Amino acid sequence: MANSSFEEKLGSNKFVVTTEVGPPKSVDISEMVHHIELLKDKVDAINITDHQSSVMRFPSLGGALLVKELGGEPVLQMTCRDRNRLALQADLLMAYSRGITNVLCLTGDSVDVGDHKEAKPVFDLDSVQLLKMIRTLESGTDMGGNELKAAPRFCIGATVHPEADFVEPQLVKFDKKVAAGAQFFQTQGIFDLASLRRFMQYASQFNVKILAGIIVLSSAGMARYMNNNVPGIIVSQTIIDELAAVEKGKGLQKGIEIAARMIKTIKEEKLCHGVHIMAVGNERVVPGILEAAELVNA
Amino acid sequence: MNVANKSYPEERLERSPDHSLVPPCQSACPLHMDIREYVGLVSQGKIMEALQVIRTGNPFPSICAYVCTHPCEDACRRSQVDKPIAIRALKRFAVEFGGDRLIGAEAETRHKEKVAIVGSGPAGLSCAYYLKKSGYPVTILEAHSELGGMLRIGIPQYRLPRDVLDIEVQRLTRMGVEIRTNTRVVSLDLLFELGYKAVFITIGAHQSLRMGIEGEESAGVIDGATFLREVNLGLKPSLGRRVAVVGGGNVAIDAARTAIRLGVKNVSILYRRSRAEMPAEPGEVEQALEEGIDIKYLVTPTRIKRENKRLTVTCIRMELGEPDESGRQRPVPIKDSEFVEELDTLIGAIGQAPQAPSDFGVRLGRGSTIQVDPGTLTTNRAGVFAGGDAVTGPATVTEALAAGRLAAFRIDDYLRHRYPLPGKEDREKLSGDLLPETIEMIRKIERVEPPSLTVAARAKDFGTVELVYGWEQATNEARRCLRCGIGVEILFQDKCASCLTCLRACPYHVPYLDASGTVRIPADQCQACGICVAECPAKAIVLRKPFDRRQVTEELGHTVKSLAEAKNKPFIIGFGCQYGLFGTGSLARLWRGAKAGVWIVPVLCVAKVEATHLLAAFETGAEGVFIAGCGEQCARENTIYWVQQRVARVRKVLKPIGLEPERLQVFALGAAAEDPAAELDRFVEQVSALRLASVIMGEVKS
Amino acid sequence: MIVAEQKPFEEIRRMITPYERVLILGCGTCMTVCDAGGEREVSFLHNALRLAQARSGDVAHTFSEYTLKRQCDPEFLELLPEKVADVDVVLSLGCGIGVQAIAESFPEMPVLPGVNTSFMGMTKESGVWDERCAACGDCRLEDTAGICPITRCTKGILNGPCAGTKKGKCEANKDMDCAWILIYQRLERLQQLDKMRRYYPPRNFRTIPRPRRIVTKAAVVTGEGDG
Repeated sequence: MANSSFEEKLGSNKFVVTTEVGPPKSVDISEMVHHIELLKDKVDAINITDHQSSVMRFPSLGGALLVKELGGEPVLQMTCRDRNRLALQADLLMAYSRGITNVLCLTGDSVDVGDHKEAKPVFDLDSVQLLKMIRTLESGTDMGGNELKAAPRFCIGATVHPEADFVEPQLVKFDKKVAAGAQFFQTQGIFDLASLRRFMQYASQFNVKILAGIIVLSSAGMARYMNNNVPGIIVSQTIIDELAAVEKGKGLQKGIEIAARMIKTIKEEKLCHGVHIMAVGNERVVPGILEAAELVNA
Repeated sequence: MNVANKSYPEERLERSPDHSLVPPCQSACPLHMDIREYVGLVSQGKIMEALQVIRTGNPFPSICAYVCTHPCEDACRRSQVDKPIAIRALKRFAVEFGGDRLIGAEAETRHKEKVAIVGSGPAGLSCAYYLKKSGYPVTILEAHSELGGMLRIGIPQYRLPRDVLDIEVQRLTRMGVEIRTNTRVVSLDLLFELGYKAVFITIGAHQSLRMGIEGEESAGVIDGATFLREVNLGLKPSLGRRVAVVGGGNVAIDAARTAIRLGVKNVSILYRRSRAEMPAEPGEVEQALEEGIDIKYLVTPTRIKRENKRLTVTCIRMELGEPDESGRQRPVPIKDSEFVEELDTLIGAIGQAPQAPSDFGVRLGRGSTIQVDPGTLTTNRAGVFAGGDAVTGPATVTEALAAGRLAAFRIDDYLRHRYPLPGKEDREKLSGDLLPETIEMIRKIERVEPPSLTVAARAKDFGTVELVYGWEQATNEARRCLRCGIGVEILFQDKCASCLTCLRACPYHVPYLDASGTVRIPADQCQACGICVAECPAKAIVLRKPFDRRQVTEELGHTVKSLAEAKNKPFIIGFGCQYGLFGTGSLARLWRGAKAGVWIVPVLCVAKVEATHLLAAFETGAEGVFIAGCGEQCARENTIYWVQQRVARVRKVLKPIGLEPERLQVFALGAAAEDPAAELDRFVEQVSALRLASVIMGEVKS
Repeated sequence: MIVAEQKPFEEIRRMITPYERVLILGCGTCMTVCDAGGEREVSFLHNALRLAQARSGDVAHTFSEYTLKRQCDPEFLELLPEKVADVDVVLSLGCGIGVQAIAESFPEMPVLPGVNTSFMGMTKESGVWDERCAACGDCRLEDTAGICPITRCTKGILNGPCAGTKKGKCEANKDMDCAWILIYQRLERLQQLDKMRRYYPPRNFRTIPRPRRIVTKAAVVTGEGDG
């Protein structure tokens, strides 16, 4: 039985659309509130990122709570970078108690790429172990083997990287995540649908839902920057060229167009089960993309 | 001021012996001269010191500098890389520039036993020299009117100028050696009756061997030894226009080249084997060919006929057959290959033998040579010793000098009633060839050939053919020396941490791990660059020679002593590669001494300058320190990389010490693009500016 | 071997400020190999400190130097008493273990660390060292083709590469190989990719209650009459 509306939608044959909101480095959360309000009814779930790129911010658990309070469907992103197994389990108990039941399990970016480079990297668990740990909690015991008086139940997901330049080890890890209990996957940004097709040929043997990651680019410069600086992201040259061809100031518009076009194709060709739109600071443009991709929730 | 480098545990180093190995050149030298040492000193511009080393091992270095057949060069391991070191030419340079002629010899008579030396060739002179130095009254008895034996009557003047010989003879006279010329000894008994307690027979091998062919007694046929003796005594035998010399040894070549100098246009040599078997020194053969002498190989005369004051010499061609007992292929006549040479003079130079008067009563051996015990040179008669060509048959001057010296030592033993113990070398001999991987990494440097007289000038008179090096030529040639056997060793095996730094740093891939996992640095491969010594983090590796270990520190110490004179500022110390300083002539331009406060610490390759030496230089109060290496011209590999590493290390601490890192610089000597003197000027300016700045800062602070 | 780096010269000078007579004590083992505190570095530091003092004109210290074969065993330290008899402080160029061994052997003697002990590793080339072992106490190199993910993956994760790897390099340092890509390639070569597909549970950090102790000797009771 579905535990959340998101899980329910994953179970149906509906094309699932999710997006994400990044919390601020601030105690003023009005913009985040605004973004959640803007998106909550237009998508099937909103991810709240967990100190994305290892930059310290308002916590993902707090953001997910906010989504819940505002009537949306949150996906709690949870990384292993900052918390050991005690803290991770405790946060999961808290999340469940407040109705947050969708969790995306991530290893987390390296501390070295963020803004607290001297911090101690925890990584007590990795993403596979985190998935497994959640299933353990659901079985009624914690990682120490101690009984929980009441057990939670989550809809858990993970990420996969179909466009990695060395994809075989990534697929091995994908298998392990499936085996560990992942129900859905959000892919890293997809820029080449051919690679998504290839990946889906492989992934379709598993009973898991795949949401293609769509990154909204705002300029060729941003694309190049991401290629050089954001872990794992590889924007194809075709897309960089397309962005570079437009006149200055129109890059974001082009990025929206590209994102919408890709989403439309994915949906029409039923390439995978849905999309996860990552606007990276441009959350306000997501409704426009949905409109352009003819995906606006009725 | 204490600049002693505390880094070495001095007490251990001090006690450590000289572990250098005897190099092949020294092993090959009949006189066992310390060639590596004096070649090294020449490369450092230390000519006087080089001469001192030469004189220690050789009674008549000037003579050897001209006529030695340099077996050392044949043994030189540099020939495995490119060409051997021109050792004789370097000795000649040291002898001439070091002022050998001015050196007197003093000897006082400490013993009363008189010694007679029969014959005054190189063996006799050498024996007289050493006996006199040991304190014996010595008399030389010479049949001819002048001393020298073969040196005077055998060797042509263009190879050995007579003034050189005269100086050595005079030196003996000044030492108090009694000389009796025109005195032919016919009986040894008489000498003993006259009170001599020992006799050294060194009468040479003057009797030419006969060719044993028909017509040999004809007029116009003479023997080589006689011919050379006549010319050397000032006669000018009339030879005609066409002359042929029979033989392939040095005497044959000497005779032919002498004939050229007497104005004969057409001189040929008839030799029954091929060039490869020719016993004459290759360099001499080369010069003979240059002078236009036609050498006919595989030819021997069979018959001589004299008609109309000319000689008709029938010759036959030979081919090489089975090897004979000497290992050389035996020449065999080719049937029906006779041909005729029309000549004016035929000189037979196929060998000589000694001719000891039978009254000497000494036992003779093969070829009329006097039989002796090779270790003691004693004959069958008590108190009678013999040596030189009289014992060995015709041999080299250097071998004769060595025999003379050995005789002197053994006669001393005999007279002092000591059991004669042959000299024992306590150091190991270096043996083994360089490995291909070592050779590959050794930089090839062209041998600097000594200049020689033009061919045209040679035909005119008996002027010395080989000329002497200039200063730069000599130092550049000397730096080619591989310094065999003087490299490094892991002296403190207990300190070795097996870090493998030496293995990785050695430009020549010399250190290796043996099967037990112990680091080994084979002495026969080490090129003595010193990089590993400076880089070894455990300080377990040292140079094999104690002096080399101390050199940089000692030279720095000398510099500091001179500092009292340093009135001018800024005061700057430069570590300069001696090879480069002398090879490029940069020393004078860099060294400014008391006048401008720039002091040079000479080092044998800057690879030996350690980081602590640089700090020690600053500690003496230097305001600037520089290293002047040879850059691209360095005879070694990789030195500049390691020097830069050490400089970087020192610069890193200079800053916190309060010394600007720019106060430490590296220059390249001999780089065509940059004149080191100009670089030094800039550096001096720079250091002066820093000094000014610090003075101003000081004022602000106070 | 243990790899360390000599402390910055300024820091060493600051540390010795309160003391007059300083013994610079090298270590002949790991610290020699990694260029941080062997006899050569001891004398370099000695010369540098003396020069610094001469330059400052403030002759506050006298220095002596010595290098032990190893600082981390009390028997070696027993060779020292004569050397430390008339000094006020020992500046140890041994690793952190050496410094503490000196502190234990000489209760009255202050000891200063001259190096920053950094990691356990190997020489890559002359003058370059790479970390290789984290001393986790639970070696799993059997499963990872002899390449340690705990040491060589910046996150130390156990179930495969993160998604941050690009061109075989680590997301945290583009010059550093991704350990998991190396492991994958080597397992593939060894035909042991099944080891990569296995699930590896979270590490048991209980193997490292600090400070750790390893006892290899057996507990033997030698009572009378046993023989």
